[in-house]
Amino acid sequence: MEWLIFGFLSIWLLVSVFGTLFLKNPVHVILAFLSVILAIAGIFLHLGAELLAGLQLIIYAVAIIVFYVLVITTIPWEKVKKFEGIYKREALLAVPFLLISFLTIAYMVLKGSFAVSGRVIREGNIQSVGKTLFTNYLFPFEVASVILLTAMIGAILLGRKEE
Amino acid sequence: MRIEIAYILISIFLFLSGLFGVIIRKNLITLLVSTELMLNGVNLGLVSMDKMVGGVEGQVFALFVLTVAAAEVAIGLGLVVAIFRLRGYESSFEITQLRD
Repeated sequence: MEWLIFGFLSIWLLVSVFGTLFLKNPVHVILAFLSVILAIAGIFLHLGAELLAGLQLIIYAVAIIVFYVLVITTIPWEKVKKFEGIYKREALLAVPFLLISFLTIAYMVLKGSFAVSGRVIREGNIQSVGKTLFTNYLFPFEVASVILLTAMIGAILLGRKEE
Repeated sequence: MRIEIAYILISIFLFLSGLFGVIIRKNLITLLVSTELMLNGVNLGLVSMDKMVGGVEGQVFALFVLTVAAAEVAIGLGLVVAIFRLRGYESSFEITQLRD
């Protein structure tokens, strides 16, 4: 049953990834990317990370996708249509390198041994993640808020009209 | 073979296909979508490692990756709009200088 769910989610994910890589129209690419996000949220639920599945749906599938669609609507459509497609020669050059690196990393993952701590989490997922986030990782959490503030100021400065 | 190892292989494939998209794409917006694919691959690897080792630290790191992804998409799309407004084109091989 577990492998059945794995097969369904991974085939869905791979089909959407190929759609994201090779479709021509940018709107179709963004719809395929939305399908990738939904598949990854399903995988997070399968792996028992309910908080991250919800955050994936809220942040990626709502905020980021809407932002991409907003930017596509502000750019004139004939300019978007002018530069679509892929570089053929670079694609042919990149495939063997990426295949070799995938095989190397997969060999290391399959043959290596992982450190397994015998820790068992008794609380729920959201409770344990929240406790870890607000005790051990409190300072990086605050730094993340500074990063978001800096990004907001930068986006306002970049999107401003030149007078 | 445990199911977490299979998910780690899927995440490596997702990361490398995002890199492939960054290499081959012509349009700047689809290039940014490919970087989002790479970030999603890293998230998937962190969460499946977390299930294997038995902790919650990987999920906390994945939360920070989500934060960085939101900041990156705001700045990146702002840059795309600024390049288009200044220059009037948006293909990846025509941007060879950073100022007028």
